[in-house]
Amino acid sequence: MEFRFFEIYRSEEYLALLAEGIATSAILTIAAGFFGIIIATFLALSRFWHIPIIAYISACFVEFFRNTPLIVQLFFFAFGLPMLIGYEWHFWQHALLALTLNFAAYFAEILRSGFSSVSSQQKEAAASLGLPKGLAFRKIIFPQAIASSFFSLNSQFVFLFLTTGIISEIGVRDLTYAGLFIDSRTFRSFEVFLTLTVLYILIAISFKAVLTWVYKKTFPWRAFI
Amino acid sequence: MKEMLIYAFGKPHGIVLFQLLEATQFTIALTAIAFIGGGFLGALIALMNVSPNRIFKQISTAHMWLFQATPLLMMLFIFGLGIPRLFKLDINPWLAASFALILYTSAYLADVWRGAIRSIPVGQWECSKAIGLNFFKTMRLVIMPQAIRISVAPTVGFLVQIIKATSLAYIIGFHDLMSIGKRWANSPVTGTEPFVIFPIMALIYFFLCFPLSILSRRIEKKFDTEKRPKTASA
Repeated sequence: MEFRFFEIYRSEEYLALLAEGIATSAILTIAAGFFGIIIATFLALSRFWHIPIIAYISACFVEFFRNTPLIVQLFFFAFGLPMLIGYEWHFWQHALLALTLNFAAYFAEILRSGFSSVSSQQKEAAASLGLPKGLAFRKIIFPQAIASSFFSLNSQFVFLFLTTGIISEIGVRDLTYAGLFIDSRTFRSFEVFLTLTVLYILIAISFKAVLTWVYKKTFPWRAFI
Repeated sequence: MKEMLIYAFGKPHGIVLFQLLEATQFTIALTAIAFIGGGFLGALIALMNVSPNRIFKQISTAHMWLFQATPLLMMLFIFGLGIPRLFKLDINPWLAASFALILYTSAYLADVWRGAIRSIPVGQWECSKAIGLNFFKTMRLVIMPQAIRISVAPTVGFLVQIIKATSLAYIIGFHDLMSIGKRWANSPVTGTEPFVIFPIMALIYFFLCFPLSILSRRIEKKFDTEKRPKTASA
Protein backbone atom coordinates (compact mmCIF):
# COMPACT_ATOMS: atom_id res chain seq x y z
CA MET A 1 0.00 0.00 0.00
CA GLU A 2 1.34 3.38 -0.95
CA PHE A 3 -0.24 6.72 -1.64
CA ARG A 4 0.93 8.24 -4.89
CA PHE A 5 -1.01 11.43 -5.33
CA PHE A 6 1.62 12.99 -7.56
CA GLU A 7 0.66 10.71 -10.43
CA ILE A 8 -2.54 12.68 -10.71
CA TYR A 9 -1.13 16.15 -10.18
CA ARG A 10 2.06 16.10 -12.20
CA SER A 11 0.16 15.69 -15.47
CA GLU A 12 -1.10 18.89 -17.04
CA GLU A 13 -3.63 16.88 -19.00
CA TYR A 14 -5.25 15.44 -15.89
CA LEU A 15 -5.43 18.81 -14.18
CA ALA A 16 -7.07 20.34 -17.25
CA LEU A 17 -9.53 17.44 -17.33
CA LEU A 18 -10.40 17.94 -13.67
CA ALA A 19 -10.90 21.68 -14.21
CA GLU A 20 -13.15 21.00 -17.19
CA GLY A 21 -15.04 18.46 -15.12
CA ILE A 22 -15.60 20.92 -12.29
CA ALA A 23 -16.90 23.53 -14.73
CA THR A 24 -19.21 21.06 -16.50
CA SER A 25 -20.64 19.67 -13.26
CA ALA A 26 -21.17 23.08 -11.73
CA ILE A 27 -22.68 24.70 -14.83
CA LEU A 28 -25.03 21.81 -15.60
CA THR A 29 -26.20 21.75 -11.99
CA ILE A 30 -26.78 25.50 -11.92
CA ALA A 31 -28.65 25.38 -15.24
CA ALA A 32 -30.77 22.45 -14.08
CA GLY A 33 -31.46 24.24 -10.82
CA PHE A 34 -32.47 27.42 -12.66
CA PHE A 35 -34.83 25.74 -15.13
CA GLY A 36 -35.96 23.34 -12.41
CA ILE A 37 -37.11 26.09 -10.07
CA ILE A 38 -39.09 27.75 -12.88
CA ILE A 39 -40.89 24.52 -13.76
CA ALA A 40 -41.32 23.75 -10.08
CA THR A 41 -43.04 27.08 -9.49
CA PHE A 42 -45.65 26.25 -12.12
CA LEU A 43 -46.09 22.74 -10.77
CA ALA A 44 -46.48 23.98 -7.21
CA LEU A 45 -48.84 26.81 -8.19
CA SER A 46 -51.12 24.51 -10.17
CA ARG A 47 -51.54 22.42 -7.03
CA PHE A 48 -51.77 25.43 -4.72
CA TRP A 49 -54.56 26.95 -6.81
CA HIS A 50 -56.23 23.56 -7.41
CA ILE A 51 -56.41 24.05 -11.19
CA PRO A 52 -58.57 21.06 -12.16
CA ILE A 53 -56.72 18.67 -14.49
CA ILE A 54 -53.30 20.34 -14.42
CA ALA A 55 -52.99 19.98 -10.65
CA TYR A 56 -53.57 16.25 -10.99
CA ILE A 57 -51.01 15.93 -13.79
CA SER A 58 -48.40 17.86 -11.86
CA ALA A 59 -49.03 15.71 -8.77
CA CYS A 60 -48.43 12.59 -10.88
CA PHE A 61 -45.28 14.12 -12.36
CA VAL A 62 -43.88 15.00 -8.96
CA GLU A 63 -44.69 11.62 -7.41
CA PHE A 64 -43.27 9.71 -10.36
CA PHE A 65 -39.98 11.59 -10.44
CA ARG A 66 -39.56 11.52 -6.68
CA ASN A 67 -40.16 7.78 -6.46
CA THR A 68 -37.84 6.53 -9.19
CA PRO A 69 -34.04 6.68 -9.26
CA LEU A 70 -32.41 9.52 -11.18
CA ILE A 71 -30.27 7.07 -13.09
CA VAL A 72 -33.29 5.31 -14.61
CA GLN A 73 -34.73 8.67 -15.66
CA LEU A 74 -31.37 9.66 -17.09
CA PHE A 75 -31.02 6.48 -19.14
CA PHE A 76 -34.57 6.85 -20.39
CA PHE A 77 -33.99 10.42 -21.56
CA ALA A 78 -30.57 9.64 -23.00
CA PHE A 79 -31.26 6.32 -24.75
CA GLY A 80 -34.99 5.60 -24.72
CA LEU A 81 -36.59 8.85 -25.76
CA PRO A 82 -34.23 9.60 -28.69
CA MET A 83 -35.14 6.22 -30.24
CA LEU A 84 -38.80 6.78 -29.60
CA ILE A 85 -39.20 10.19 -31.21
CA GLY A 86 -36.10 10.23 -33.38
CA TYR A 87 -34.05 13.19 -32.23
CA GLU A 88 -30.36 13.30 -31.44
CA TRP A 89 -28.82 15.77 -29.04
CA HIS A 90 -25.49 16.12 -27.33
CA PHE A 91 -24.98 14.02 -24.20
CA TRP A 92 -25.02 17.08 -22.01
CA GLN A 93 -28.39 18.16 -23.39
CA HIS A 94 -29.95 14.82 -22.47
CA ALA A 95 -28.34 15.11 -19.05
CA LEU A 96 -29.65 18.65 -18.62
CA LEU A 97 -33.18 17.58 -19.57
CA ALA A 98 -33.17 14.70 -17.08
CA LEU A 99 -31.62 16.76 -14.30
CA THR A 100 -34.00 19.67 -14.86
CA LEU A 101 -37.11 17.50 -14.60
CA ASN A 102 -35.68 15.68 -11.60
CA PHE A 103 -34.80 18.93 -9.80
CA ALA A 104 -38.20 20.38 -10.69
CA ALA A 105 -40.04 17.51 -9.02
CA TYR A 106 -38.14 17.89 -5.74
CA PHE A 107 -38.36 21.69 -5.74
CA ALA A 108 -42.08 21.57 -6.50
CA GLU A 109 -42.78 19.54 -3.37
CA ILE A 110 -40.86 22.02 -1.21
CA LEU A 111 -42.48 25.06 -2.85
CA ARG A 112 -45.94 23.58 -2.42
CA SER A 113 -45.49 23.31 1.32
CA GLY A 114 -43.96 26.80 1.24
CA PHE A 115 -47.08 28.21 -0.41
CA SER A 116 -49.42 26.47 1.99
CA SER A 117 -47.33 27.62 4.96
CA VAL A 118 -48.19 31.29 4.30
CA SER A 119 -50.88 32.11 6.80
CA SER A 120 -54.35 32.76 5.37
CA GLN A 121 -54.55 35.90 7.52
CA GLN A 122 -51.99 37.44 5.19
CA LYS A 123 -54.35 36.92 2.30
CA GLU A 124 -57.28 38.35 4.26
CA ALA A 125 -55.24 41.35 5.35
CA ALA A 126 -54.26 42.02 1.72
CA ALA A 127 -57.90 41.74 0.63
CA SER A 128 -59.04 44.11 3.36
CA LEU A 129 -56.49 46.67 2.13
CA GLY A 130 -58.16 46.45 -1.27
CA LEU A 131 -55.28 44.78 -3.10
CA PRO A 132 -56.41 42.88 -6.20
CA LYS A 133 -55.81 39.11 -6.00
CA GLY A 134 -52.96 39.08 -8.51
CA LEU A 135 -51.10 41.91 -6.81
CA ALA A 136 -51.65 40.37 -3.37
CA PHE A 137 -50.19 37.12 -4.61
CA ARG A 138 -47.21 38.81 -6.23
CA LYS A 139 -46.37 41.13 -3.35
CA ILE A 140 -47.59 39.27 -0.27
CA ILE A 141 -47.92 35.50 -0.72
CA PHE A 142 -45.15 34.71 -3.21
CA PRO A 143 -42.20 36.43 -1.46
CA GLN A 144 -43.11 34.87 1.89
CA ALA A 145 -43.50 31.41 0.37
CA ILE A 146 -40.09 31.66 -1.31
CA ALA A 147 -38.49 33.03 1.84
CA SER A 148 -39.87 30.26 4.03
CA SER A 149 -38.85 27.49 1.64
CA PHE A 150 -35.49 28.95 0.67
CA PHE A 151 -33.54 27.04 3.30
CA SER A 152 -35.02 23.68 2.26
CA LEU A 153 -34.51 24.52 -1.41
CA ASN A 154 -30.88 25.32 -0.68
CA SER A 155 -30.25 21.99 1.09
CA GLN A 156 -32.13 20.10 -1.59
CA PHE A 157 -30.14 21.77 -4.35
CA VAL A 158 -26.84 20.83 -2.71
CA PHE A 159 -28.13 17.31 -2.07
CA LEU A 160 -29.12 16.96 -5.73
CA PHE A 161 -25.77 18.33 -6.85
CA LEU A 162 -24.10 15.46 -5.02
CA THR A 163 -26.12 12.98 -7.09
CA THR A 164 -25.24 14.48 -10.48
CA GLY A 165 -22.06 12.40 -10.78
CA ILE A 166 -23.99 9.71 -12.61
CA ILE A 167 -24.39 11.86 -15.72
CA SER A 168 -20.88 10.62 -16.52
CA GLU A 169 -22.56 7.26 -17.22
CA ILE A 170 -24.08 8.63 -20.43
CA GLY A 171 -20.80 10.20 -21.51
CA VAL A 172 -21.05 13.76 -20.20
CA ARG A 173 -17.52 14.97 -19.41
CA ASP A 174 -18.25 16.03 -15.84
CA LEU A 175 -16.11 15.70 -12.73
CA THR A 176 -16.83 11.98 -12.23
CA TYR A 177 -16.02 11.35 -15.88
CA ALA A 178 -12.66 13.07 -15.43
CA GLY A 179 -12.02 10.93 -12.36
CA LEU A 180 -12.89 7.70 -14.15
CA PHE A 181 -10.66 8.67 -17.06
CA ILE A 182 -7.67 9.41 -14.83
CA ASP A 183 -8.36 6.23 -12.90
CA SER A 184 -8.33 4.17 -16.08
CA ARG A 185 -4.93 5.63 -17.01
CA THR A 186 -3.16 5.57 -13.66
CA PHE A 187 -4.97 2.84 -11.67
CA ARG A 188 -4.59 5.04 -8.58
CA SER A 189 -8.30 4.65 -7.83
CA PHE A 190 -8.17 5.47 -4.15
CA GLU A 191 -6.29 8.73 -4.62
CA VAL A 192 -8.39 9.75 -7.61
CA PHE A 193 -11.73 9.23 -5.90
CA LEU A 194 -10.52 10.78 -2.66
CA THR A 195 -9.53 13.87 -4.67
CA LEU A 196 -12.92 13.85 -6.37
CA THR A 197 -14.72 13.56 -3.05
CA VAL A 198 -12.87 16.60 -1.73
CA LEU A 199 -13.67 18.54 -4.90
CA TYR A 200 -17.35 17.61 -4.72
CA ILE A 201 -17.54 18.67 -1.08
CA LEU A 202 -15.81 21.98 -1.85
CA ILE A 203 -18.22 22.76 -4.69
CA ALA A 204 -21.17 21.81 -2.48
CA ILE A 205 -19.94 24.10 0.29
CA SER A 206 -19.50 27.00 -2.15
CA PHE A 207 -23.00 26.49 -3.55
CA LYS A 208 -24.43 26.54 -0.06
CA ALA A 209 -22.44 29.64 0.90
CA VAL A 210 -23.44 31.57 -2.22
CA LEU A 211 -27.10 30.68 -1.85
CA THR A 212 -27.08 31.65 1.82
CA TRP A 213 -25.58 34.99 0.83
CA VAL A 214 -28.29 35.44 -1.81
CA TYR A 215 -30.90 34.64 0.82
CA LYS A 216 -29.57 37.28 3.18
CA LYS A 217 -29.47 39.87 0.38
CA THR A 218 -32.91 39.03 -1.03
CA PHE A 219 -34.85 38.64 2.18
CA PRO A 220 -33.05 40.97 4.61
CA TRP A 221 -36.10 41.07 6.89
CA ARG A 222 -35.78 37.34 7.61
CA ALA A 223 -32.04 36.96 7.41
CA PHE A 224 -31.23 36.99 11.09
CA ILE A 225 -34.31 35.45 12.62
CA MET B 1 -43.67 -17.90 -12.17
CA LYS B 2 -41.36 -17.82 -15.18
CA GLU B 3 -43.72 -20.00 -17.24
CA MET B 4 -46.65 -17.88 -16.16
CA LEU B 5 -45.00 -14.65 -17.30
CA ILE B 6 -43.89 -16.20 -20.61
CA TYR B 7 -47.44 -17.45 -21.12
CA ALA B 8 -48.87 -14.02 -20.38
CA PHE B 9 -46.41 -11.80 -22.25
CA GLY B 10 -44.89 -13.99 -24.96
CA LYS B 11 -41.31 -15.07 -25.50
CA PRO B 12 -38.93 -12.14 -25.12
CA HIS B 13 -41.09 -10.04 -22.83
CA GLY B 14 -42.00 -12.74 -20.33
CA ILE B 15 -38.35 -13.74 -19.84
CA VAL B 16 -37.22 -10.12 -19.51
CA LEU B 17 -39.94 -9.36 -16.99
CA PHE B 18 -39.08 -12.48 -15.01
CA GLN B 19 -35.39 -11.56 -14.90
CA LEU B 20 -36.17 -7.99 -13.86
CA LEU B 21 -38.45 -9.15 -11.06
CA GLU B 22 -35.89 -11.75 -10.00
CA ALA B 23 -33.20 -9.05 -9.88
CA THR B 24 -35.49 -6.85 -7.81
CA GLN B 25 -34.95 -9.16 -4.84
CA PHE B 26 -31.28 -8.13 -4.78
CA THR B 27 -32.33 -4.49 -4.77
CA ILE B 28 -34.59 -5.24 -1.81
CA ALA B 29 -31.88 -7.27 -0.06
CA LEU B 30 -29.33 -4.47 -0.43
CA THR B 31 -31.90 -1.97 0.83
CA ALA B 32 -32.53 -4.16 3.87
CA ILE B 33 -28.80 -4.46 4.60
CA ALA B 34 -28.32 -0.72 4.26
CA PHE B 35 -31.34 0.07 6.41
CA ILE B 36 -30.56 -2.38 9.21
CA GLY B 37 -26.81 -1.73 9.24
CA GLY B 38 -27.26 1.99 8.78
CA GLY B 39 -29.99 1.97 11.40
CA PHE B 40 -27.74 0.44 14.06
CA LEU B 41 -24.81 2.69 13.21
CA GLY B 42 -27.11 5.70 12.91
CA ALA B 43 -28.69 4.99 16.30
CA LEU B 44 -25.23 4.82 17.85
CA ILE B 45 -24.22 8.09 16.20
CA ALA B 46 -27.44 9.82 17.25
CA LEU B 47 -26.97 8.59 20.82
CA MET B 48 -23.38 9.83 20.81
CA ASN B 49 -24.58 13.17 19.56
CA VAL B 50 -27.05 13.76 22.39
CA SER B 51 -24.79 12.31 25.08
CA PRO B 52 -23.14 14.74 27.49
CA ASN B 53 -19.65 13.63 26.40
CA ARG B 54 -18.00 16.32 24.28
CA ILE B 55 -15.66 14.03 22.32
CA PHE B 56 -18.54 11.71 21.40
CA LYS B 57 -20.47 14.75 20.29
CA GLN B 58 -17.69 15.96 18.01
CA ILE B 59 -17.06 12.52 16.50
CA SER B 60 -20.75 12.03 15.73
CA THR B 61 -21.12 15.51 14.26
CA ALA B 62 -18.11 14.90 12.04
CA HIS B 63 -19.51 11.54 10.93
CA MET B 64 -22.88 13.04 9.99
CA TRP B 65 -21.31 15.96 8.20
CA LEU B 66 -18.74 13.93 6.26
CA PHE B 67 -21.02 11.16 5.02
CA GLN B 68 -23.84 13.51 4.11
CA ALA B 69 -21.47 15.67 2.11
CA THR B 70 -19.73 12.81 0.30
CA PRO B 71 -21.52 11.78 -2.89
CA LEU B 72 -22.69 8.16 -2.65
CA LEU B 73 -21.11 7.50 -6.02
CA MET B 74 -17.69 8.44 -4.64
CA MET B 75 -18.18 6.19 -1.62
CA LEU B 76 -19.04 3.33 -3.96
CA PHE B 77 -15.96 3.99 -6.05
CA ILE B 78 -13.72 4.21 -2.99
CA PHE B 79 -15.03 0.97 -1.48
CA GLY B 80 -15.44 -0.85 -4.77
CA LEU B 81 -12.33 0.29 -6.67
CA GLY B 82 -10.11 2.42 -4.47
CA ILE B 83 -9.61 0.26 -1.39
CA PRO B 84 -9.28 -3.03 -3.31
CA ARG B 85 -6.55 -1.53 -5.48
CA LEU B 86 -4.78 0.30 -2.67
CA PHE B 87 -4.58 -2.75 -0.39
CA LYS B 88 -4.45 -5.33 -3.20
CA LEU B 89 -7.60 -6.91 -1.85
CA ASP B 90 -10.45 -8.65 -3.60
CA ILE B 91 -13.62 -7.06 -2.31
CA ASN B 92 -16.93 -8.59 -3.28
CA PRO B 93 -19.40 -6.04 -4.79
CA TRP B 94 -21.93 -7.08 -2.12
CA LEU B 95 -19.51 -6.07 0.60
CA ALA B 96 -18.41 -2.83 -1.04
CA ALA B 97 -21.97 -1.74 -1.84
CA SER B 98 -23.11 -2.64 1.69
CA PHE B 99 -20.32 -0.64 3.31
CA ALA B 100 -20.96 2.43 1.18
CA LEU B 101 -24.73 2.32 1.67
CA ILE B 102 -24.50 1.64 5.41
CA LEU B 103 -22.29 4.70 5.91
CA TYR B 104 -24.55 6.80 3.69
CA THR B 105 -27.71 5.64 5.48
CA SER B 106 -26.24 5.99 8.96
CA ALA B 107 -25.37 9.64 8.41
CA TYR B 108 -28.89 10.60 7.31
CA LEU B 109 -30.77 8.44 9.81
CA ALA B 110 -28.58 9.70 12.64
CA ASP B 111 -29.45 13.25 11.62
CA VAL B 112 -33.18 12.48 11.55
CA TRP B 113 -33.10 10.74 14.93
CA ARG B 114 -30.90 13.34 16.53
CA GLY B 115 -33.38 15.97 15.38
CA ALA B 116 -36.24 13.97 16.89
CA ILE B 117 -34.42 13.63 20.22
CA ARG B 118 -33.45 17.30 20.21
CA SER B 119 -37.05 18.35 19.61
CA ILE B 120 -38.06 16.97 23.02
CA PRO B 121 -38.15 19.98 25.36
CA VAL B 122 -35.13 20.45 27.64
CA GLY B 123 -37.50 20.48 30.62
CA GLN B 124 -37.98 16.72 30.19
CA TRP B 125 -34.26 16.16 30.63
CA GLU B 126 -34.13 18.43 33.64
CA CYS B 127 -37.11 16.72 35.29
CA SER B 128 -35.53 13.31 34.74
CA LYS B 129 -32.32 14.52 36.29
CA ALA B 130 -34.26 15.95 39.22
CA ILE B 131 -35.88 12.61 39.99
CA GLY B 132 -32.48 10.91 39.79
CA LEU B 133 -32.50 9.14 36.40
CA ASN B 134 -29.14 8.70 34.66
CA PHE B 135 -28.54 9.32 30.92
CA PHE B 136 -29.56 5.85 29.73
CA LYS B 137 -32.62 5.63 31.93
CA THR B 138 -33.76 9.10 30.84
CA MET B 139 -33.25 8.03 27.25
CA ARG B 140 -35.14 4.76 27.59
CA LEU B 141 -38.02 5.83 29.82
CA VAL B 142 -38.62 9.47 28.96
CA ILE B 143 -37.08 10.62 25.70
CA MET B 144 -37.31 7.58 23.41
CA PRO B 145 -41.07 6.96 23.74
CA GLN B 146 -41.67 10.53 22.56
CA ALA B 147 -38.86 10.78 20.02
CA ILE B 148 -39.77 7.54 18.24
CA ARG B 149 -43.24 8.84 17.42
CA ILE B 150 -41.72 11.88 15.79
CA SER B 151 -39.10 9.99 13.82
CA VAL B 152 -41.17 7.15 12.34
CA ALA B 153 -42.46 9.14 9.36
CA PRO B 154 -39.11 10.58 8.18
CA THR B 155 -37.46 7.18 8.75
CA VAL B 156 -39.96 5.43 6.50
CA GLY B 157 -39.55 8.28 4.02
CA PHE B 158 -35.82 7.74 4.00
CA LEU B 159 -36.34 4.09 3.02
CA VAL B 160 -37.46 5.42 -0.36
CA GLN B 161 -34.17 7.24 -0.62
CA ILE B 162 -32.24 4.05 0.15
CA ILE B 163 -34.11 2.04 -2.49
CA LYS B 164 -33.28 4.69 -5.08
CA ALA B 165 -29.69 4.87 -3.89
CA THR B 166 -29.15 1.12 -4.37
CA SER B 167 -29.62 1.65 -8.10
CA LEU B 168 -26.10 3.12 -8.19
CA ALA B 169 -24.48 -0.08 -6.92
CA TYR B 170 -24.43 -1.58 -10.42
CA ILE B 171 -21.50 0.75 -11.13
CA ILE B 172 -19.15 -1.42 -9.07
CA GLY B 173 -20.53 -4.65 -10.50
CA PHE B 174 -23.42 -5.35 -8.14
CA HIS B 175 -26.18 -7.36 -9.80
CA ASP B 176 -29.56 -5.85 -9.16
CA LEU B 177 -32.58 -4.56 -11.05
CA MET B 178 -30.52 -1.74 -12.54
CA SER B 179 -27.71 -3.89 -13.94
CA ILE B 180 -30.02 -6.56 -15.41
CA GLY B 181 -32.24 -3.89 -16.95
CA LYS B 182 -29.27 -2.08 -18.44
CA ARG B 183 -27.96 -5.31 -19.92
CA TRP B 184 -31.31 -5.99 -21.60
CA ALA B 185 -31.56 -2.41 -22.86
CA ASN B 186 -28.15 -2.77 -24.51
CA SER B 187 -29.00 -6.14 -26.06
CA PRO B 188 -30.03 -6.25 -29.72
CA VAL B 189 -33.15 -8.34 -28.98
CA THR B 190 -36.28 -6.71 -30.42
CA GLY B 191 -38.80 -5.83 -27.76
CA THR B 192 -36.13 -4.87 -25.23
CA GLU B 193 -35.28 -1.44 -26.61
CA PRO B 194 -34.28 1.22 -24.08
CA PHE B 195 -37.65 2.95 -24.38
CA VAL B 196 -39.37 -0.27 -23.29
CA ILE B 197 -36.97 -1.46 -20.60
CA PHE B 198 -36.32 1.79 -18.74
CA PRO B 199 -40.00 2.66 -18.23
CA ILE B 200 -40.60 -0.90 -16.96
CA MET B 201 -37.70 -0.51 -14.53
CA ALA B 202 -39.00 2.88 -13.48
CA LEU B 203 -42.38 1.28 -12.80
CA ILE B 204 -40.82 -1.47 -10.67
CA TYR B 205 -38.90 1.09 -8.65
CA PHE B 206 -42.03 3.21 -8.42
CA PHE B 207 -44.07 0.33 -7.02
CA LEU B 208 -41.37 -0.28 -4.42
CA CYS B 209 -41.07 3.38 -3.41
CA PHE B 210 -44.51 4.91 -3.78
CA PRO B 211 -46.30 2.80 -1.12
CA LEU B 212 -43.57 3.76 1.33
CA SER B 213 -43.97 7.44 0.46
CA ILE B 214 -47.70 7.17 1.07
CA LEU B 215 -47.14 5.28 4.32
CA SER B 216 -44.70 7.93 5.50
CA ARG B 217 -47.21 10.68 4.80
CA ARG B 218 -50.01 8.76 6.55
CA ILE B 219 -47.91 8.25 9.66
CA GLU B 220 -46.90 11.89 9.64
CA LYS B 221 -50.53 12.95 9.48
CA LYS B 222 -51.52 10.47 12.18
CA PHE B 223 -48.94 11.65 14.68
CA ASP B 224 -49.39 15.21 13.43
CA THR B 225 -45.95 16.25 14.54
CA GLU B 226 -45.26 19.90 14.10
CA LYS B 227 -41.69 19.68 15.35
CA ARG B 228 -40.58 17.21 12.72
CA PRO B 229 -36.80 17.17 12.25
CA LYS B 230 -35.90 18.92 9.03
CA THR B 231 -33.29 17.33 6.79
CA ALA B 232 -32.86 17.09 3.07
CA SER B 233 -35.17 14.32 2.03
CA ALA B 234 -35.36 13.07 -1.46
